[in-house]
Amino acid sequence: MKPDSHPLVVSVCYIRLSARELQASARFAADIFGLQRVAEQNGEIAFRSDNRFRTVSFSNGASGGSSIGIEVWDEPALDEIEKRLNKSGFASSRASASDCERRYVQAALLAKDGSGNSVDLVARPTQSGRRYFPSRDAGITQLHGVGMQSTDLERDLQFWKELGAEVSDWVGDIAYLRIDRLHHRIALYPAKQRGLLYAAFEVETLDNIMQNSYFMQERQIKIVQGPGRQPCSKQIFLHVEGPDGIIFSYVNGMSEMGPGHRPARQFPLVLESLCEWGSEAKDVPELSAGVS
Amino acid sequence: MIELKDVSYVRLGTPDMASAESFATSCLGLQVAERGKKALYLRSDDRQHTLCYTEGDPSNQTVGFEVEDEDCLQQAAATLERLGHCVQGGSADDAARRKVRAFIAFEDPSGNHIELVVRPERSGRRFFASRDAGITGFSHIGLNSTDPARDEKFWTEVCNARVSDRIGDIPLMRVNAIHHTIALVRAPHAGIQHVNHQVQTSDDVLRSFYFLSERRVPIVFGPGRHPTSGARFLYFKGPDGMVFEYSVGVNEIEDEATHRPRQFGFEPTSFCMWGSKPAGMALPNDQ
Repeated sequence: MKPDSHPLVVSVCYIRLSARELQASARFAADIFGLQRVAEQNGEIAFRSDNRFRTVSFSNGASGGSSIGIEVWDEPALDEIEKRLNKSGFASSRASASDCERRYVQAALLAKDGSGNSVDLVARPTQSGRRYFPSRDAGITQLHGVGMQSTDLERDLQFWKELGAEVSDWVGDIAYLRIDRLHHRIALYPAKQRGLLYAAFEVETLDNIMQNSYFMQERQIKIVQGPGRQPCSKQIFLHVEGPDGIIFSYVNGMSEMGPGHRPARQFPLVLESLCEWGSEAKDVPELSAGVS
Repeated sequence: MIELKDVSYVRLGTPDMASAESFATSCLGLQVAERGKKALYLRSDDRQHTLCYTEGDPSNQTVGFEVEDEDCLQQAAATLERLGHCVQGGSADDAARRKVRAFIAFEDPSGNHIELVVRPERSGRRFFASRDAGITGFSHIGLNSTDPARDEKFWTEVCNARVSDRIGDIPLMRVNAIHHTIALVRAPHAGIQHVNHQVQTSDDVLRSFYFLSERRVPIVFGPGRHPTSGARFLYFKGPDGMVFEYSVGVNEIEDEATHRPRQFGFEPTSFCMWGSKPAGMALPNDQ
């Protein structure tokens, strides 16, 4: 990326999940996690977390699997990305009109990273004219980022670098990737199988993180880890177990990288590199320094 | 009017000095200032000590408040005697044991042991904690009251305390700009309900939550946030059942002249806006 040019990709703009139990997943998203349920179309239930038209959707599996959406700068950026991915040997295909409609975008390149995770590069995702109005006061302000499980870290890193992402820090081989001014929006976790590890949603303050923590405890919803603070990014987090083992996270306070570049820092793969307060992840090897 | 400047120290009796020292240093994170035969002096800030364990009955609980000078001390003694309190003048030996120039001792209307002190010692060396709990200093106490309305009158009319906020009929009272230095707690008998130390950041509150949980220290309330003072807090139990609190971000009352106490309902959300519930610790009892 040249300093005087715009970036190729700008945000993590949606996650699409196939749910084993559609209605139960939808209840979790709205009643427990606190997203705004907006539309049901083509067998998909969609939710908002911010001013975008939708950021989360669940389908019953028949209408196409899971993917994450990455917003690109504009349509020419899609062409550039397509060229780069082809050259590096990553499979990708242009989305059909119905694929685009289902994703509420104007154009898309459907790609797979080195592990085989579906990553949709999308142009002009739909915004909403109405402000975000959630079902409960969880304090959510936006879809913030994702954690991806990686079975081929080297290839996955190459994939994201083709999109212009850079490594901000390492914890063992966990790579935190930035695509904008923030420390990271995407994190790659070495894992035994591919998939989405977590979807992270920004909340207004620490108060919301703590309130949500007690909210989950009262309802006996499993907290996977937290409240905690990630040392490398300074981000406060609460990882909650969502449907089908996907983690839904509340996050707040990630540090910015600033204009000057610095090399990525290496932290050892130990618990205190993952949480400086002392919280531990239960039963999730990717988050518990358990995977080498 | 007895002009209290600040809370100065807490003195607690304990039958087991070794356990008290172990807890104070490895869990609470204070610094040993001086270790006598029958007294342990502990620091939390730039004062010589703010907590003193003495060998004896755990029901021996005393809180000391600083007043301006010896004239003020004499006037305070006269005021208290006029109101029928039994005032004991501290001997030179007793003053030396408290590291103060002079002091008097009396009981508040509930029977709490209160001392007024002049010129408590400061330390030339900075506070250096025994563990990284982030403590910045001893800040306030929760004080048992058998009749909060009566005791509020004592602290606000005989002394200079002002009510910052109330939860039910429980007053949180300040003697300087800090939201509260004395929090009354309805209880069947006199005593200190909790001892508060301030920490640097909310990170410290959360870190200590995990640290103390791992060491099986009973967490009795929190991590939470008081809607009254705005403080993030953690309450936990120490030796002889004494409750200690870490907190950070206590509001200051900016305009003394125009501040009016707010009334909060006597309900859980008035004590914690995050949703934590007390466990093994009595909330100030409304009735």
